[in-house]
Amino acid sequence: MDKRPLLLTLMNILAVVLVPAALIWILFFTPVEATMGPVQKVFYFHVSAAWAGMLCFLIAAGAGIGYLTSRQYYWDWLSFSAIEVGLVFGLIAILSGMIWAQPIWNTWWVWDPRLTTTAIMELIYLVYFLLRSGIDAPETRARLSAIYAIIGAATVPLTFFSIRLFRTIHPVVIAPGGSESSAFNMSPRMLIAFIGSLAAFTILLSSLVWNRFRLAYIHAQNQQEV
Amino acid sequence: MKSFLSYLNIVWQIIRKDAQVEWRGRQGLPVMLVFALLIVFLFNFALQLAPDLQAGLAAGLLWVSLAFASTLGLNRSVSLEKENNALDGLLLAPVDRSAIFFGKVISNFGFTLIVALILLPIFSLFYGQNMLNLRLLIIIILGVGAYTSLGTLLAALSIQTRTRDVLLPVLLYPLALPILIAAVEASRGVLSGMPMKDLQSWYFLLLAGNILFIATGLMFFETILEE
Repeated sequence: MDKRPLLLTLMNILAVVLVPAALIWILFFTPVEATMGPVQKVFYFHVSAAWAGMLCFLIAAGAGIGYLTSRQYYWDWLSFSAIEVGLVFGLIAILSGMIWAQPIWNTWWVWDPRLTTTAIMELIYLVYFLLRSGIDAPETRARLSAIYAIIGAATVPLTFFSIRLFRTIHPVVIAPGGSESSAFNMSPRMLIAFIGSLAAFTILLSSLVWNRFRLAYIHAQNQQEV
Repeated sequence: MKSFLSYLNIVWQIIRKDAQVEWRGRQGLPVMLVFALLIVFLFNFALQLAPDLQAGLAAGLLWVSLAFASTLGLNRSVSLEKENNALDGLLLAPVDRSAIFFGKVISNFGFTLIVALILLPIFSLFYGQNMLNLRLLIIIILGVGAYTSLGTLLAALSIQTRTRDVLLPVLLYPLALPILIAAVEASRGVLSGMPMKDLQSWYFLLLAGNILFIATGLMFFETILEE
């Protein structure tokens, strides 16, 4: 069995250190936002998780293209590892958003387009596993899942535009020209927390996907040996 | 030029075959139509709809029944090929596979469009809302076009799984959502008499959906069916 690469070990350690560090910074060193109060602190992990989820789904689509062009199984492993991890991050984004929405919007859930489409995106990638479990032949499974992952990612921009056309009540953090009234200005400490959590989550997702990929690799090797 | 014409001829042969099967068996279209009508009636009771329906509800109802009915047609159009291994026969033919895709898309599009054309006067009658409107027809053509091109692709995909046709709606609805949103919003705008320029972006979205799904179909249809 292959030894765990040094870089992966480093990333594991970094993820384990950075995520709690970001949490401590958010809890004790960021100022309390003026209008929303302490609940605004959900925002840092919420956006980071949403970002991590999106990145995972993009990786999965890229790996799908990789599989279709090279027909090497490791692309397939990367694709479904990324989707598995992405699903968890998407769920974190939705749940943390709900915790924030309860006091701010006075409801756990609104059928706001952005919330709805994030939920739909989760469904799209849940269906990915339904599709996989329905196919026995490994080659067909890898090929069709790759195609589905690509089509799934291709519809995301379309969904995004259909959101933008609706009027949304979801806050826009990075607003063009900062003109949006729902955007709030971040103080330097908030910005550190924001960028810090983004970085921590990016490393966390990379290490998780890599570990999951290695699991799939070892699993495949064992099956060959038996 | 000659090769283009022969390509069109292959597309035409596929459409003709599907139409002929439908004409002789009459098993797809009537089912789609009755199913669409049943959905209208079910929703009427489930949502306690008033006869003078708001434009938004009428548009939503129209698209829900069209989407559901279309799924039946899509499933049938591929399961038909799976019976008696007709699909293998199609694939053995020395023709460009994208022509098969186009033929299938156009025949599915045609069947769903016929259902829509029959539904429109019925909706107008039942819900006191004049739906015989040229702009609405354009939206239906665009929406159904994008929906059936995505649906044909996913039907070819779902037929290769163990769960077969059960899987198609689950694959199709989340991916088709932006198309359905755009179609419902545009139809609602037209029915409530909004000016054209307010609805422009929805038209563009529908057009983008058509281009995207036809392009993905061209790219992947061959890969999906390879053995």
